[in-house]
Amino acid sequence: MITKEKIDQYIEQIPPSPKALQETLHFLNIGELTKAAKVAETDPALRSYLKAIVNKPIYGFRNEVKEISQIFGILGVSGSQQAVYNYMIHLLSPSKWKLFELNKSSFDDLQAKLSTQWQRILEHLSIEDKDIESSITLLPASIIVTEALFNDKIEDVTLLRKAKELDYNTILLRLCKMDLFDICAVIAKTWDMPDIISQIIYAASGTRPVADKQIDLLGKWMHMLLFYELSQATFVQAGLNDFIEFEIQYVTEIYDDFATLMDIQ
Amino acid sequence: MRAIVKDSIGVFSPQGFLDASSAQSLLTVEDIEATEHLKVDMVLVSLKKVIFFNRNGLDTFVKMLNKVRHSAQCIVGFCDVDHKKYEAINKFYGEEMNFSIFKSREVASLFASSFKNQQKNVLLYSDDKSQRSAIAIELHDNGHNPIVATSKTDFEEKRANGNYDVVIFDTYLGQIGQHVATRVTGNAIIYTVSSFLDNEIGNSFNIAYHNNSLNVGFRLFIFDAYKVVSMNIHALNFFAKLASSAAEYNATICFVGMSFEKTPQQFKETLEDAGILFFEQMDDILGNKELLHDLGASTAGAAKNKRTLNKVLVTELPRFIDATVLTIEMMTSAKAQKEAAQIEQICIKNKEEKIASSIGFYGDIDGMVILVFPTAIAQKACELLIGEKATDIELILDSLAELVNILGGKVKSLLADENVNVNITLPRTYATIDDLLEVTTNRKGVQVDLKFDDDKFLFFLTR
Repeated sequence: MITKEKIDQYIEQIPPSPKALQETLHFLNIGELTKAAKVAETDPALRSYLKAIVNKPIYGFRNEVKEISQIFGILGVSGSQQAVYNYMIHLLSPSKWKLFELNKSSFDDLQAKLSTQWQRILEHLSIEDKDIESSITLLPASIIVTEALFNDKIEDVTLLRKAKELDYNTILLRLCKMDLFDICAVIAKTWDMPDIISQIIYAASGTRPVADKQIDLLGKWMHMLLFYELSQATFVQAGLNDFIEFEIQYVTEIYDDFATLMDIQ
Repeated sequence: MRAIVKDSIGVFSPQGFLDASSAQSLLTVEDIEATEHLKVDMVLVSLKKVIFFNRNGLDTFVKMLNKVRHSAQCIVGFCDVDHKKYEAINKFYGEEMNFSIFKSREVASLFASSFKNQQKNVLLYSDDKSQRSAIAIELHDNGHNPIVATSKTDFEEKRANGNYDVVIFDTYLGQIGQHVATRVTGNAIIYTVSSFLDNEIGNSFNIAYHNNSLNVGFRLFIFDAYKVVSMNIHALNFFAKLASSAAEYNATICFVGMSFEKTPQQFKETLEDAGILFFEQMDDILGNKELLHDLGASTAGAAKNKRTLNKVLVTELPRFIDATVLTIEMMTSAKAQKEAAQIEQICIKNKEEKIASSIGFYGDIDGMVILVFPTAIAQKACELLIGEKATDIELILDSLAELVNILGGKVKSLLADENVNVNITLPRTYATIDDLLEVTTNRKGVQVDLKFDDDKFLFFLTR
């Protein structure tokens, strides 16, 4: 169904991050918001993406935010870095989704929801770290990778999943000894994302024990957040609810805290 | 979302957070219709991977379960519930609860008809006295040995000191359906019938499945009738006809545990005249190898069954081979290849360390596909389903059954592309080649040698 060669081919096709993005990230890294905004202005696709994202209702701005400098000013250094990373992942998304019933807009919605909720969680945990804030941006890459690898195997996967409760991550791991989160880590490396981002994503898979207590805790919150969002009607209808397995034992200890924060009754 | 069926139990496994909108998105009208048409003993919703649910979320599933129970007459409910979830469901539904709640799938399977799970020592406890009795009776009827704890303290003491196969608590038994459950044990098919047998038996009994089972070589059919209260003349006629059609195949029909307290004794004589045998206990048959042999559960070479391949089936042969090749490729990611094909009686040179599995199909065309693997190769072919290096032969056979089930699905879909409609039977496995040869004796078919990654296996298509 899926071979290691197919995964290697997919990895080879991941483009390097565009120069304008690299420069924008460089300026954001050293806290130069104005210079970062100036570079970002030169990339029309990035400009339009940032405008569309920041003006989504979930960000809650009353008036339309138009200028990149204004957007970066509102989001701050870490929020801006997160938005640029979201854009990079967005670049990987297909123009037409086949496996999952998604489109550019609904995928962007998922990114925006994950990002704003993650920020809320980090505030709750009193964590201020721009790389940790940006770690959430890599998570939706797992959905894009699943779509890319399985979109021509829909019938096979349907047959297989009629006989056995198997999620895409397990199918990949059993067939190729490599899972979605390994591929996400390769994407992070290709794009020079900080190491901690891959480490948190690995932890968020819920399947790998992590020695570092803070990363383990963040992994739990991220795993829970992912399934909280994937349980929303739009994403259930898109077929995302069971694309990876929800590791309920892994997150049980933080559930009460999560439910209070998200006001789940 | 669709239920995954194993051992005649269909299980839905939602994940995450279950409220009204997510539940309605998980369960479409088509999903509910498909579930109603599943021929299973039980339909369950597993809450194992659900961390939050509310009443509105469960309501969508409860409506589906009630619909399925009503139309398919099978047991329905929730499973994999911890104490907190059990209490919450009880609080939501209280007296209105007509579905069941099982602590785990293992507990639920004790109430299904799978022979594998019979004769377990089961400790059970429920706060509700009537539930304790109902659960104990059902367990006993299903061939288990229930030990009832009468209080929480008694339960804790017994649990600490006893050695039980299964411990049941946080379990509630709702309405039990009247579905004619089917299970396969060795070469016998067991149907479970209950309550009052009347002309409804004609609707609830899957005659197409039964006929196909005869075609694919089953020779012993047992009606587990422990729970039958009485039978009327319509049911009598139905069973008499079934017996005469079985006689054409040299097959035997037995009734086990049937009481004639409320059914005229004359009915028993009529059925005996039609060739039906009566036994008091299931063990009287299944525990007696000689009797099993005499009743035909180990031989299958009946005259009517020696059907030859026909032109239609041979025309479709490439699609069967394609389905096999595609399934193996899908399961292993290795390239599968056809080596040699010939029409002859099944020929297996070296019988040692080999296992087999078969699946029948019926409809516009009928027949049976058999796959024969060296055990180690079967393990490799099923690695995706097993997930780890397994040495347990039962697990490998189970996975091989799942593999031929997937193959059956592939055959069905490839034939449907050519407007040939078929249904598939339950898969069957053979732990030894001698078991397989008993079924295929004197049958001609197309034998194709196939290989993947230089590992050879055998495909056989017959009628």
